[in-house]
Amino acid sequence: MPSLELPLVLIAILAGTLAVTSAGRGAWVALAILSLSSSALEFSVADPDRIGLILRLSAIGIGLVVALPENLFEGQALRRDLALTALVRTLREHPVVVASAIAGLLLGLVPLALPIESSSDALRAAGIALLVVGLPPLLTSRFIEATTRAAVVTLAGTMLLRTSIFGALDSLTALAIAAGFTCILVVGGSVATRISNAEGER
Amino acid sequence: MSDGEILTAIRALFPTLMALSSLALVPIVKLWRGQERDDAATYATFGVQVLLLVTSVGAVLSGAGYVSTLKIGQVTIDPSEPGRLLVVLGGIVFAVIVGAGEGRRAGTMGQIALFGIAAIDLSLAIPSGIAPIALLLFASLAISGAAASGKDDVGRARAVFRDLRTVSLLLPAVVIAEILRTAISYAAVDAAYATPASLAAGTALGVSIVLIVAAGVFPFHSRLIKIFEALPIVGSLLVGVWIPSALALIVMSELSVLASSITDPLGGAIVPGILLAGAATLVFGAVSALLHDDIGEIVGFIAVGNAGWLALAAAAALQSPTDTSSRLIVLPGTLAISLFGLWLVSVRRRYGTTSISELGGWARRTGANGIALISAIVALAALPPGAVLAARLNLLLLGGNPLIALFAIIGQLLLIAAAIRLLLVGFTPQSQTVHEAETRPFANVITISLIAGSIFVAAAAAGWLSLETGGTGPLPPAPSVSPATSFDPAPSFEPTAAPTGESTPSVIPSGSGEVSPAP
Repeated sequence: MPSLELPLVLIAILAGTLAVTSAGRGAWVALAILSLSSSALEFSVADPDRIGLILRLSAIGIGLVVALPENLFEGQALRRDLALTALVRTLREHPVVVASAIAGLLLGLVPLALPIESSSDALRAAGIALLVVGLPPLLTSRFIEATTRAAVVTLAGTMLLRTSIFGALDSLTALAIAAGFTCILVVGGSVATRISNAEGER
Repeated sequence: MSDGEILTAIRALFPTLMALSSLALVPIVKLWRGQERDDAATYATFGVQVLLLVTSVGAVLSGAGYVSTLKIGQVTIDPSEPGRLLVVLGGIVFAVIVGAGEGRRAGTMGQIALFGIAAIDLSLAIPSGIAPIALLLFASLAISGAAASGKDDVGRARAVFRDLRTVSLLLPAVVIAEILRTAISYAAVDAAYATPASLAAGTALGVSIVLIVAAGVFPFHSRLIKIFEALPIVGSLLVGVWIPSALALIVMSELSVLASSITDPLGGAIVPGILLAGAATLVFGAVSALLHDDIGEIVGFIAVGNAGWLALAAAAALQSPTDTSSRLIVLPGTLAISLFGLWLVSVRRRYGTTSISELGGWARRTGANGIALISAIVALAALPPGAVLAARLNLLLLGGNPLIALFAIIGQLLLIAAAIRLLLVGFTPQSQTVHEAETRPFANVITISLIAGSIFVAAAAAGWLSLETGGTGPLPPAPSVSPATSFDPAPSFEPTAAPTGESTPSVIPSGSGEVSPAP
């Protein structure tokens, strides 16, 4: 679906940016959208049997179900947090991250200075943009949920960059990476719960 | 599926099947003994110990030959000799540790050990791109998460959080190394791009960073110390020692292939840097172990010191790719640290403290623990001198820097001194805590298994048993970070022959993304 590639790339980058800049509901919904769009970008073109895509979506689905905080789907709060004005305000409050995403996108459009060229500039641009957006909070954030989301954004970016050069993952590697996504989400969620419980007891 | 194929699948996936069967074991035991019965946990622990030993025996019987190679479509699972050796010894080591640990969660720890050694076996059996490294990294994260569960302890949670961050950062490094590695063969035909040696140096740096960070080499040691401080010992050993050892085997295999495929020396300061990190880690780990007074921290720093040997081995694999010494030292180091872990869990369980000041006279009170620590010291020192000690000395010679070698030897001697200090504390007058502790009679299954297990593992670690051949053997399908077989890279330029008068490329493209030596 080459015609959908560019919109998916833009959606993935926007969702990745929101996943690391928003808090609470907006961030988790953005993460879910990032996961869907990056998985579709990674597997749809080169994997005719779709096993990789199914594995990835199932794994992220399970991970999100476990990791999602309680009361996420309260209708009114969800509408408030996902309102366009709220999202725009969040992006305006984090100009450095937005600038990083745009810079990553532009940087990714330039061919690699290596003798192997990407078959898909769009995938490479998305991969590098997500890496640029995800790595700083992964390295520096002291908040567990934010770090977990940054880890997912970084891993999604890494896999997109890899796919842009090597094509879709083989089924065994796809299984390992899918397990990794679940693992990051589940462990991140469990650590966050445990620390808040321990602090509550104290 | 024919009977033969089923048998092959069982052989190939035996440790994984055992790990999965443990998931059913605990509910069955609870059903049998009843939820209210106090002995349900004891029976579950015993059952898991049996599964660990069965895994060990099964790995010996299954072996790593072609009859154990499973093919499902394009996926091949080909158990390797080092992987099976790790399973054989891991099954025994963790069965003894779970027995010595006792307690309500011992059964769960046994299950974690089963899944850990299954992940190690599986990752060393997959010849598929980044899958083995990704599998090990994510298994490490999952194990630390599972080991830390069951208690709302901030320290434990923070150790797991640190692990999550580390694993998430290492995977991009692996992928970048994979991309650089693929570029090597194409760089040789176009002078406009980076040289094969510089790309190889970048690849070596990428995969070495994975090993250095995962193993806890200085200055990345704090993760390992936190793990040993916070997690139960089974989780600490798996995440901090066993999984990094399996990673080391993969990385060293990759480094050997890389170094043997280019004729130019690697650019940059990769080898001196790794050598320096290795020697510094040995000295740092030993000095820190001598300065600390908590046995959990001391064992953690001894594990850091062992990571120094892994770094030295990685440098040796780059310097001399055909030499097998680098792979020979991995398993003995793992077993030696496991013995320290066994001693630690046994002493902690018996006396309920980890402070040296409260453990005066522990060896006089519990002689079996004394035997366990002496075994660990023998394993650490690799005595009497044999293949393991020779391999360590060979690594230092391969490094080619007398100052680094001297530092490494001093560090190793200080590590042994730190371990002997623990033993000497055991012969001082008994502290109040030790005096009042409840001890078991000597003729006890747990005590006997502790002694027998310690001596067996020490024998394997010090090279008394001829197990080193498994450690030195190649990884039958050498797992590497090279692209999967399905990848058919298409360079965007027309490869041209190097102009006359220019230096001959050190590698030539083989057409499959793999690197071939220049003729």
